[in-house]
Amino acid sequence: MKLIKDKVAKLSFVALLATVSAAMLYTPTASAHGEKSQAAFMRMRTIHWFDLNWSKEEVAVNDTMTISGKFFVFSGWPETVDKPEISFLNIGIPGPVFIRAGSWIGGQLVPRSVSLELGETYDFKVLLKARRPGDWHVHTMLNVKGGGPIIGPGKWVTITGSMGDFVNNITTLTGETINLETYNLENIYFWHAFWYALGLAWLFYWVRKPMFIPRSIAVEAGKADSLITATDKKVAMGFAAGTIAIVAISMGNTNEQFPVTTPLQAGLLRGIKSIEMPATSVNVKVEDATYRVPGRAMQMTLTITNNGDSAVRLGEFNTAGVRFLDSSVAQDETGYPDDLLAEEGLTVSDNSPLAPGQSRTVQVTASDAAWEVYRLADLIYDPDSRFAGLLFFYDEAGNRQLITIDAPLIPTFI
Amino acid sequence: MSASQSAVRSRAEAVKVSRTFDWLILFTLFFVVLGGYHIHYMLTGGDWDFWTDWKDRRLWVTVAPIVSITFPAAVQACLWWRYRLPFGAVVCVLGLLLGEWINRYLNFWGWTYFPVNFCFPSNLMPGAIVLDVVLMMTGSMTATAVIGGMAWGLLFYPGNWPIIAPLHVPVEYNGMMMTLADLQGYHYVRTGTPEYIRMVEKGTLRTFGKDVAPVSAFFSAFVSILIYFLWHFFGQWFAKTDFVKAA
Ligand SMILES: [Cu+2]
Repeated sequence: MKLIKDKVAKLSFVALLATVSAAMLYTPTASAHGEKSQAAFMRMRTIHWFDLNWSKEEVAVNDTMTISGKFFVFSGWPETVDKPEISFLNIGIPGPVFIRAGSWIGGQLVPRSVSLELGETYDFKVLLKARRPGDWHVHTMLNVKGGGPIIGPGKWVTITGSMGDFVNNITTLTGETINLETYNLENIYFWHAFWYALGLAWLFYWVRKPMFIPRSIAVEAGKADSLITATDKKVAMGFAAGTIAIVAISMGNTNEQFPVTTPLQAGLLRGIKSIEMPATSVNVKVEDATYRVPGRAMQMTLTITNNGDSAVRLGEFNTAGVRFLDSSVAQDETGYPDDLLAEEGLTVSDNSPLAPGQSRTVQVTASDAAWEVYRLADLIYDPDSRFAGLLFFYDEAGNRQLITIDAPLIPTFI
Repeated sequence: MSASQSAVRSRAEAVKVSRTFDWLILFTLFFVVLGGYHIHYMLTGGDWDFWTDWKDRRLWVTVAPIVSITFPAAVQACLWWRYRLPFGAVVCVLGLLLGEWINRYLNFWGWTYFPVNFCFPSNLMPGAIVLDVVLMMTGSMTATAVIGGMAWGLLFYPGNWPIIAPLHVPVEYNGMMMTLADLQGYHYVRTGTPEYIRMVEKGTLRTFGKDVAPVSAFFSAFVSILIYFLWHFFGQWFAKTDFVKAA
């Protein structure tokens, strides 16, 4: 019997600790490392990030860096994901290791949510100011309401220095310059301590005297009225009157001290400008596409027609942020993340310049470990087994054309 | 030891034991309430309480008092009717705020590095003190619900204004006007909380011009009255001794 009692006591103590700590251990999402676990079709058929540039690989606390580039809102947006009518340009970092000092789409500052259109290409820029030292994976990211976060490519950036040196100076419209990192802190601590102390005083007033057992006996004996004395009533009235007076006075003082305040600003930003993409003169038809599981390679048969006036060559296939290049046509000079770059990952059966007016059917192979590492191959297990991506063609003058492809993908297991 | 023998042998010892019980019960009550109330408030008030850029004049003012009057009403019902102890609401809020501060300081700031001036909790103490005093003075559930619940809703915004007003100073940022609180929300990146899930300044109270906070507070106060009744009954039901007697 005693054993059971002890066990129950122990268990209830554990349960008590568990409830108390459950809420206290809550931490807001700090990691953005979900890129690989996000369904492959989400990464291939929603937002195509390209021309990305991380301006620095190492940055000191208080210094800034930018991530810029373009994103194409895929025309064949999957039906299972809500359209990006309400979306937010975010940045995938583990908590506020940088502060987002600015972010722009099409030149417009976007601190709030925006409405984007399918089939459009937008340029964007995010300005980050380094705050906490460490090595951080910095991803582009777009949150879509009803679709969740769409994480783009990430690159490792090192922040050096000390977080203690970080300052975030802002000049308000009332002409004051404040450090937002610590602004208002003393005031917050003061008022919370003040009200907490007042609450404790009220509690102490009552716990001075015997509490549960004698009072319970008195209530059950019908002597409940004797438990609240005249002094108690006076003290209580003092507490209530004091509380109301302090609230009223502190509110008045605050309004005097801060005569100019505005409500929080919210609301969707519309009319975001997209880029006018040059008209394309190359036409691509996907005859078939297969993914060879053992070889970690995707093979497509493409019929390419050149309707322009300059010969073109295929230089790059970009899908889900992974870039497959034919090094004889295109090289990366932007320091694109290694794990997402297959510098010689693109093989074209005949990649000689395709003269104007001509048409050619070629075998294109995109192979790299990234298929596996980034779990893009999981696409073949998706309910809608289609792939999509961007093809970049280069003409003789080095001009680039972007063609979107979107076709079914058949896996082969031998 | 046989059941007929008492555990205490003198009055002094009885008093001592009774006092030990007082502290044990109060200690347990405090932490049980802290855990339960904190989880409840996080699930219902959540982001409105976490971030300054959610502390607006409409939804925060409306939601926070309504979801937070619950535990105070229930604990009051237990402590008042059984012991005539009028600190149910205050003990709840003391527990909640302690839990919140530990969470915000250690996790939001200590672990994730969100500045404390961005993620501090809302102040519920003024309403709690008045709620306890009203119950003590009137000894009536109805009066406490109506007067106390009203005060709970109405004192919330003014009780927090001295703390948040400095963050509502406007700033011009890259050609846009925003408050410092909005700027905190923009600067201190939350990957899991995109801007569009922020429910602020939405509603149909537009006809009242710029004085929406008092209107929201009144609405919140009315609903708080109803919630008070409901949770007071919960509290009374839970405090019944029927469960123990059967054993
Ligand atoms: Cu990452």
